[in-house]
Amino acid sequence: MPPQTLEQTLEGRRSQPNQLIEVLQDIQKNYGYISKEAMQIVSQELGVPLIEVYRVASFYKAFRLKPSGKNVLTMCMGTACHVRGARLLLDQATGQLGVKQGEVTPDGLFSVEHVNCLGACALGPIIAENGSYHNHMTPAKLRKLIETLRRQQIEDKQNVPAK
Amino acid sequence: MSRLNSFRELEHLRERLREQRQNITTTVMVCGGTGCKASRSQAVIDAVRDELSRQGLDTKVRLCVTGCHGFCEQGPVIIIEPSNIFYCHVSPEDAFEIVYQTVVKGEVIERLLYTDPVSGKTARIMSEVPFYQAQDRQILSQNLNVDPCSIEDYIVAGGYSALTKVLRGMTSENIIKEIVSSGLRGRGGGGFPTGRKWIECRDAPGDEKYVICNADEGDPGAYMDRCVLEGNPHLVLEGMMIGAWAIGARKGYIYVRNEYPLAVDHSRTAVEQARELGLLGDNILGSSFSFDVDIARGGGAFVCGESTALMASVAGKVGEPRPKDIHTVVDGLYHKPTALNNVETWANVPSIILNGSSWFASKGSQGSKGTKILALTGRVKNTGLVEVAMGTPIRTVVFDIGGGAVNGNGVKAVQTGGPSGGCLPVDKFDLPIDFDVLYKAGSMIGSGGMVVMDEETCMVDVAKYFLTFLQDESCGKCLPCRLGIDRMLEIITDITEGRGKPEQLDLLEELADTVAQTALCGLGKTAPNPVLSTLRYFRTEYEAHINEKKCLAGVCKALITYSIDPDKCNGCGVCLRGCVYGAITGIKKQVHIIDAQLCQKCGICRSDCKFDAIRVA
Amino acid sequence: MLQYVNVNIDGAIIRATKGTSVLDTALEYGICIPHLCHVPYLSDIGACRLCIVEHVANGRSNVTTSCTLNVEEGMVIMTNTDRIRRLRRNLAELLVAQAPNSRAIQDIALRCGVREVRYPFRNEDCVLCGRCVRVCTEVWKARAIGFVGRGKDRHVDYPFGIRPDFCKQCGSCIQLCPMTIPPCGGPMKPGEECLCSNCESQLIIADEMVGSCVWCKLGEGFACGRYV
Repeated sequence: MPPQTLEQTLEGRRSQPNQLIEVLQDIQKNYGYISKEAMQIVSQELGVPLIEVYRVASFYKAFRLKPSGKNVLTMCMGTACHVRGARLLLDQATGQLGVKQGEVTPDGLFSVEHVNCLGACALGPIIAENGSYHNHMTPAKLRKLIETLRRQQIEDKQNVPAK
Repeated sequence: MSRLNSFRELEHLRERLREQRQNITTTVMVCGGTGCKASRSQAVIDAVRDELSRQGLDTKVRLCVTGCHGFCEQGPVIIIEPSNIFYCHVSPEDAFEIVYQTVVKGEVIERLLYTDPVSGKTARIMSEVPFYQAQDRQILSQNLNVDPCSIEDYIVAGGYSALTKVLRGMTSENIIKEIVSSGLRGRGGGGFPTGRKWIECRDAPGDEKYVICNADEGDPGAYMDRCVLEGNPHLVLEGMMIGAWAIGARKGYIYVRNEYPLAVDHSRTAVEQARELGLLGDNILGSSFSFDVDIARGGGAFVCGESTALMASVAGKVGEPRPKDIHTVVDGLYHKPTALNNVETWANVPSIILNGSSWFASKGSQGSKGTKILALTGRVKNTGLVEVAMGTPIRTVVFDIGGGAVNGNGVKAVQTGGPSGGCLPVDKFDLPIDFDVLYKAGSMIGSGGMVVMDEETCMVDVAKYFLTFLQDESCGKCLPCRLGIDRMLEIITDITEGRGKPEQLDLLEELADTVAQTALCGLGKTAPNPVLSTLRYFRTEYEAHINEKKCLAGVCKALITYSIDPDKCNGCGVCLRGCVYGAITGIKKQVHIIDAQLCQKCGICRSDCKFDAIRVA
Repeated sequence: MLQYVNVNIDGAIIRATKGTSVLDTALEYGICIPHLCHVPYLSDIGACRLCIVEHVANGRSNVTTSCTLNVEEGMVIMTNTDRIRRLRRNLAELLVAQAPNSRAIQDIALRCGVREVRYPFRNEDCVLCGRCVRVCTEVWKARAIGFVGRGKDRHVDYPFGIRPDFCKQCGSCIQLCPMTIPPCGGPMKPGEECLCSNCESQLIIADEMVGSCVWCKLGEGFACGRYV
């Protein structure tokens, strides 16, 4: 399904300041991040001062102001996952990929984020990757997951010219 | 389905739907909740559906994709009625057997039955599973038999009859009187008497009023609301409708956190289906009650669980709380009187109306009535959602239902109430699940999260964890929360890294007390609780960190060393290959060594080693 | 038509205008309650928490900020109890430890009774009082600056960090900022921060004169409401 355009997202919501968060969420889903240009258009169309749009976009964790990696690894840092060693997974990911949280690897393939509880606590530690949940993770499993994803990306890249 | 214009039409629909299902002999319920989905239950659902179709059983057997049953670790879960057979860890390949053996022939498949880790016995049916036995699942049991995306299922199960009773002949006075006498108190953490909140909102000046369902559930480790909203959104809707009628509100919002995509979807579907039938909209069921609901999504901010921050968020603003010198029941969403209640609170309302306030008040303790859903997680054998009557001792929940500690380690403490709550040691486990009792003991029920901790949990680290979490989630507006939490974290970090000084404990307590008294909102006011409760009950651990520079639980990295036990190491080299920091050296088949200088104590080697040869001291 | 209510502040029965805050009422009658984020012609947000008082009601005493509490008939307020002074002192200690490089902040700390700072000093150049944001938003309605980010990351900034053309550089934000007044001994270099004891405000400190008004002077150009 092709991502919604900005025009489609704004439809029915113009001049309604209280729709700001809903609009930004749709933009985040469709574009992966909220650009300066998008914020300027939203400010105009919704009737919200630009500084206010920027403020909301920077306040809520759901919004990214910079593009993320192709594979976003989101570590759950909830209490239940924490007592089962979620901290180790975060260290493993940042160590193996050589990036800090919120940063993207130089090859643009990965970024590491954390979330403060996904609500699947019995299955922790959990890592969410591109919408699917991996449960009962260990540092060893994570190492394999990252390698698998990396291999997949390389294969995809190789397959493209063949098409 | 066409719009229902009267109570009679609703009853007719209910009868018709029940008649249609008279030929159904068996119902196969497969859990499609977030937990089981993470264990790939979608493939199981598809396989069972295909199998039923293949064997020509579509008309006789009903496949119902349900919401969460709370025992997520055992997923994917299948329950078969009317025999109440309970299967766990089901894979798609089992579909044929389940349909042919169990559904058709009525035979049980032994290997899919639940085996209790404590007694070793297998349970044939759901009510024999010890985890479920000791519970009183008033709300959670309603997740059985109901597909959250089907309003028909809800109606067949008796749904919307409480609404009918209310619209037919109960005045606002009567409804509120029932809620007050029931003793229902807010289930989101505040424990405020629900009846009183509704009275204050109804009596507040103004024609335009709102009801809000707080489904932000930010407490890490808590997922009760997810389960109820995902699994039975109509139950919550019905509760909101009853409240709105009593208060005089015509509009409601369900504020769902962004991290619960399934709950958002199911709530949206439920609202659309209710609108289609005319259960939301103008002149509901032909009465004078008009009410509609919209779903608002959170943006990833724990602070938005606070009522004023939540209302700001619904209005499209940043979730910064405002001082509550004037309460939200008078000045709430868009400055109008607003009654905000938690998902579980709303979910309790229909049964109170149908069964009466004395029924509800007959359970529980003096000050805390009814049942409470708890999320039992952590270092305990059976983790999951537990619903018990208020007044149940903590011991029953942790040991009888939870099955005690994993790995033979002793249970050390239980953390209740999320980041606003505190830790209680084992010798306090006779305390009941009760708002006031737990509050006096330095903790609280909170939203219901209960994390069990054992000897390998460092209580100073627990305090550090919660402070880190709160620092991340603080809105930053007021000084005591923004700077106070930061400085408390600074002190605790010093302590966990071996730089602690004895006078810092007194400073920590004084600072904690100041933050608790001067912060602007509940987040800041309760932020010191994890610190204060661990200081109260586990002071010796703090002192060991400070005076002896030791972390007895083996957690605080600066105070422990990793080494390899020469008696257990067989030189397999797994740890060497796994070490990201190159700190392990050794020749194949010979004892390996960890270089303490390079070792970052990340724990990878320890989790990889199959011979338990890594020592932490 | 103005309406009046009678409120009891520190034992004095005061006739207050309905709709005003306890802080405004107290300041007008010469009972000075320390404050930082309050500016007479801007909205009150209750962020600095320095203006806390004890509000006695229903047999209980609640600690709340006087700038967000509106006067009501029969209200009983205590501004200078031991409890309030201890809490205020701890808050001011946190404040000066965070941003000691300002005479105004040092003044407040000393006035609130801070004698020693038990936390490592930091050298932040913003205390997030929000005066600048509010004057730009409420008086000039330019909305060129605002609070962005959350928690520790909260800071004042232009949209996208770039000064927009609708900022006319009026300078109001700078005029109201407490951090623009350097300490008496000159700006403190990082690593050399301390609790300065040079200000004349240390002569009259709340601790020594229980129950009496605290004389205060927050540096030139940074007027306390009382002197307007």
